[in-house]
Amino acid sequence: MTEANTVDATLRALLADVLGLGEARAAALTEDSGLFGELPEFDSMAVATVLTEMEDRLGIVIDDDEVDGEIFETYGNLLAFSLRKVTD
Amino acid sequence: MSEHRLRIDPAGTPRATVLIVPPLFEEANRTRRTLVLAMRALAAEGFAAVLPDLPGQNESLVPLEQVDLARWQDALVEVAADIDGPILVAAVRGGVLIDHRVKAAAWWRLAPVGGTSLLRTLMRARVSADREAGLTSSLESLQEEAKTKPLLVAGNRLSPEMVAQLGTSEAQVVEPLRSISLGADGIAGTPLWLRAEPGEDAAMAAAIAADISAWSKTCGIS
Repeated sequence: MTEANTVDATLRALLADVLGLGEARAAALTEDSGLFGELPEFDSMAVATVLTEMEDRLGIVIDDDEVDGEIFETYGNLLAFSLRKVTD
Repeated sequence: MSEHRLRIDPAGTPRATVLIVPPLFEEANRTRRTLVLAMRALAAEGFAAVLPDLPGQNESLVPLEQVDLARWQDALVEVAADIDGPILVAAVRGGVLIDHRVKAAAWWRLAPVGGTSLLRTLMRARVSADREAGLTSSLESLQEEAKTKPLLVAGNRLSPEMVAQLGTSEAQVVEPLRSISLGADGIAGTPLWLRAEPGEDAAMAAAIAADISAWSKTCGIS
């Protein structure tokens, strides 16, 4: 598995865990799938939980000022952000 | 003031009592249902199981801003003092930060987490909620604010002492200890404590009870 695939799989599993999506819904997420504002489960507590779990599972550190509304807009944005952090 | 304790007894004399130390803050609500299912399964195995309310949590009348980790540790010592026979402590997530002063025959810890990580998530929820409300805050500004007055994070009003203690708190060494995580080598299940909408998992509850029961035997408790 390439690093991009690993990050993608980790991220899907994480969203499934936090949002209770179930494997099928998590696997069906596309680049354009909306997250914050689209999924009713995705509230500010869920955003916080996702960030901390991303740090733990991807071995990265996320600063406040890197986080804006945009990275949680779509799954594609969140994946791109994660890949950037992992390869930094 | 005595806090509510949920106690489930087996038929006949208990082999031992499992003292459940729940996760902290919102994580306690998300796991409570499954933990109580595990307690029922333990009772069917001949154990008594006790799930105490920590002061400031669940049905407690104590304001959360009046407590800190040290008070929670004291509360658990008091709960344990009222229990007859051997005690096996079963702590979940942030429960591991307050379980070490209990006089127990053995400890069992599921998915331990450090205080820093819990605090970071709570503060981030506040930063995120502030942003939605058009306010600007940061982890640093909240840390600063928390030095002098209670800090409201994700519906929890935390005292300066609580914030300071969480910021440095790690699970303490206890013996004998079985520390277990989720997954193929641990308990089969999902991290319900992370879940935005509370769920329950009966299979996971059964796995928790079976693992605690086996650990009790290994330790020669029953």
